[in-house]
Amino acid sequence: MVVMTLLHELGASCQFFFRVLKVARKTHGYGPAVIEQIYAVTMRSMSTILFAGLFTGGIVALQMGVMLAAYDASTIIGGMTVSATLKEIGPLIIAIFLSGKVGAFTTAELANMRVTEQIDAIDCLGTNPIQYLILPRFMAIILSSVALLAAGLLVGTLSAGLTASIRFHVNPLQFLSSIPRFTSAWTLFESVFRCMGFALVVATVSTYKGFCASGGARGVGRAVTESATYTNLFIVLMNYLSSVFLRFLHDMLFGSGS
Amino acid sequence: MSIRFDRVDKAFGPKEILKGVSFEIPAGQIWFVLGKSGMGKSVTLKHMIGALKPDVGRVWVDKHEVSAMGADDLYRVRQICGMVFQHPALLDSLTVKENIAFGLKTPQYFERKGRKPTESEILSTVKRLLSLVKLNDDILDLYPPELSYGMQKRVSMARTLAPEPAYVLFDEPTTGLDPQSTSSINSLIHELSRELKVTSVVVSHDMNCALEIADQILFLDQGKILASGTPKEMARSTESTVKAFFEETLSLLAPEERSKWL
Repeated sequence: MVVMTLLHELGASCQFFFRVLKVARKTHGYGPAVIEQIYAVTMRSMSTILFAGLFTGGIVALQMGVMLAAYDASTIIGGMTVSATLKEIGPLIIAIFLSGKVGAFTTAELANMRVTEQIDAIDCLGTNPIQYLILPRFMAIILSSVALLAAGLLVGTLSAGLTASIRFHVNPLQFLSSIPRFTSAWTLFESVFRCMGFALVVATVSTYKGFCASGGARGVGRAVTESATYTNLFIVLMNYLSSVFLRFLHDMLFGSGS
Repeated sequence: MSIRFDRVDKAFGPKEILKGVSFEIPAGQIWFVLGKSGMGKSVTLKHMIGALKPDVGRVWVDKHEVSAMGADDLYRVRQICGMVFQHPALLDSLTVKENIAFGLKTPQYFERKGRKPTESEILSTVKRLLSLVKLNDDILDLYPPELSYGMQKRVSMARTLAPEPAYVLFDEPTTGLDPQSTSSINSLIHELSRELKVTSVVVSHDMNCALEIADQILFLDQGKILASGTPKEMARSTESTVKAFFEETLSLLAPEERSKWL
């Protein structure tokens, strides 16, 4: 039963994603709305992401540092920390915070518009509500996620460097010089790819749940809860699928041995 | 120029809402769709605007077969066929001016008018519409939550009228309004029809209003048209359901007023 519900939600979200994709070719005139939404999404999440980045970088450096110190390899803490944050933790943290702040807000806003017939009114005034309401929010969530990732990673790296210096006595030069040994352009690509993939999940599920809400205040509440639940479940699924895909792509481009 | 239903059937799951409904609303008239709750009145309106498709039968608005249209074509029809919702449904994030001007900024409107209206033209249209719905233009920059419910309803009507529709569909326009606002909304529907030659279709429970301003009344029951005719014909109907429906309203009228209908 649970699997069937999950598959149904996944199918419905994909269907909605294709509806958005269909109108995405007609974006003329919606530029200002997209910019306005990018600004709103970025500003709404920036402080939380910076806060999360600050502690995530510190925690990863602390955990890695303890293990590396046991092997007398504290000098590579910078590379290990940044690589782990870039590949896995960074995009995942961004996605979870995006889902909690922007996703929930988007679902509640759209669901309220749906139950108060605002979306029907837009439709009846000759404007496609997916184009007018969904597309700008959709694009903003995906594009903002990259900016938020960059900011989160920057703060995370600074905090990791600070932790490495204070706790493990690794000087900043040692910290920075080890980064290129464990990261490459591919690591950065992986990070951005994952981040945008997770943002796509947040954007699709939150807009879909809000757009298709029904049943007054109770319906709005249900839409927000379902949005939070399915977003997080699909992010986990996307994490696995993107790992498989990126591994496959990496092997195809650089050979399986590298 | 008319709205035409041709043997329309509509069901939601096992529940049949409309069963072989056929009628034609000529241009410039005010038609009321009456009936008890759940008898398909709002469903009938939604078919006219293409928000619902019939299971069987066809719906026409002018020369457009709404029931066979895709989403893009429907947006063109919605420029000539506006709808006033039961609730004001104003966009909270837009000011009164932006709400009313919403329909003037769509590609379909530009296409119909042959060009994009200038900002000053939009402003003067907005002001004209506000005065038509008896509101002052000092509310132009206010947001919907700053207005009373009655004012929101009027702004909502102005927004629907902005693209100059030939047909306006009203879904219970006076629900939740005080008697004074109800009366002014009813006069407004009447004025629109007489002055702007707009065809109005009103779904309402307001029998007084139906008797007062309707050209024709359509009475729906169990998904079928039980009776139709002028207000006088309906008030004199011998059909038991229709008679019971009208009797209560007529009993509240003054004797001389009642005798006008009976």
